[in-house]
Amino acid sequence: MKNLLYKEFKLATHPTTYLFLSFGLMLLIPNYPGYVGFFYICLSIFFVFLTGRENRDIFFTVSLPIKKTDAVKARCMMIAIIELVQILIAIPFAFIGNSINPAGNLAGIETNVAFFGFVFMMFSIYNIVFIPLFYKTTYKIGIPFLYGGIAFGLFYVLVEMLVWIPSSIQTFLDTTNPAIMLQQIPILIIGIIIWFAVWIITYKKAASNFEKVDI
Amino acid sequence: MEILSVENLCKNYEKFALKNVSFSLDQGFIMGFIGRNGAGKTTTLKSMMRLVHPNSGTVTILGKNFAEDEFYCKQKIGFVLGGVDYYPKKKLKTITNVTKRFFPEWDDEKYQSLLNRFDLDSEKRIDELSAGMRVKYSLALALSHNAELLILDEPTSGLDPVSRDDLLCLFQDLIEDGEHSILFSTHITSDLEKCADFITYIKNGEIIACTDKDTFIETYRLVQGPVEELNPNLSSKLIGVRKHKFGFEALIKTIDLPMVAGIEVSAANLEAIMVHIERE
Repeated sequence: MKNLLYKEFKLATHPTTYLFLSFGLMLLIPNYPGYVGFFYICLSIFFVFLTGRENRDIFFTVSLPIKKTDAVKARCMMIAIIELVQILIAIPFAFIGNSINPAGNLAGIETNVAFFGFVFMMFSIYNIVFIPLFYKTTYKIGIPFLYGGIAFGLFYVLVEMLVWIPSSIQTFLDTTNPAIMLQQIPILIIGIIIWFAVWIITYKKAASNFEKVDI
Repeated sequence: MEILSVENLCKNYEKFALKNVSFSLDQGFIMGFIGRNGAGKTTTLKSMMRLVHPNSGTVTILGKNFAEDEFYCKQKIGFVLGGVDYYPKKKLKTITNVTKRFFPEWDDEKYQSLLNRFDLDSEKRIDELSAGMRVKYSLALALSHNAELLILDEPTSGLDPVSRDDLLCLFQDLIEDGEHSILFSTHITSDLEKCADFITYIKNGEIIACTDKDTFIETYRLVQGPVEELNPNLSSKLIGVRKHKFGFEALIKTIDLPMVAGIEVSAANLEAIMVHIERE
């Protein structure tokens, strides 16, 4: 697996991935929907698959002495690493953004603990739609990305609606009050658990789809 | 010793099927896998490597079942579809650095000597290599991980005659040690005339011949004569008859020769055999 991961980062990772990792910086933009920066990493995942197809990555990979399922596992692990790194990079910018924009974010949820919980959930939704659908054919990429993007977008609208409509939920979610942010920790933990569980399901479903594909 | 054995390989598609493909190859020989475009050569090779899922059949490499010992078998095989055409914008050294990690028997010294022998520059990108050099690079990779069986799908397609000859000579050099064997598919019959020891012929997904090259060529004769000679008895023995204004020409099995008289008989070559068989 170590060798396959090396291959993923050495050959398959698209250069924009590293650029988009820095888009945690977007959390410094005043009154800007914070989830947008995270969608760029979904876009870079799409680029990895797109350039992989053009570079005949799948043929190269399965010609190596490996199991087909391990090729999928390595790709899923690479995606998980990218997503985690982007979140880790974004966290300090969330703090900085909140301190330099004390008026708060008028364009959406505040970048707080719940926000990151929702980001984990958004990644889960994108992963489970996009990745297994790609491995059904290994050449159709546009449709899986479209569906993945729509799923991501729908969840985005849903969680933003929670802070648009005045309610106790809005009060609870749309704040950077440290005391309330502590109470938001369960949302973050649930987000992480969902992300991890969905990652396993995504890998298993994608690997099973890939097993059936003739290359 | 048998290095490769394929038994009853079947793969069904909606409009095409591999039907009980069976053949074998001993160590130290070159086998040409011949058939026209669409006959099933690449499907057979991909099914052997389990890149496509055969419906049934067994592939054995050095006595080990490929399906059960895929890891071992892939170590022993260098499989090349055409030339290296993956990651064309990456340098050879980058591809090599990734590839070698997967092969415990990788020999760096051997790799360097092969690069020198093939005149390959590891600083070049894949897309800077000519078609012939790409095949050579894939051979360098395969031989450096100690592959004993080289399975090459149309390695000479698109090469100029000089590069093709160069590659065919290289194939012969490679098997001289008695350990390496080559199975290569082609529809270029002159390649086989030059270097194949054995011929496996596939037509419409079925193996119609698997034998040594000389026996295969000796199995057939070319015949020609005036159209008036084409009586039902003779016609039933002829293969791929072509009529023209001067008469007819066709292929006939050597064993059927005593049954025909009064027509001109000449030795057949692989191209003539293939053309007439495919005309049937």
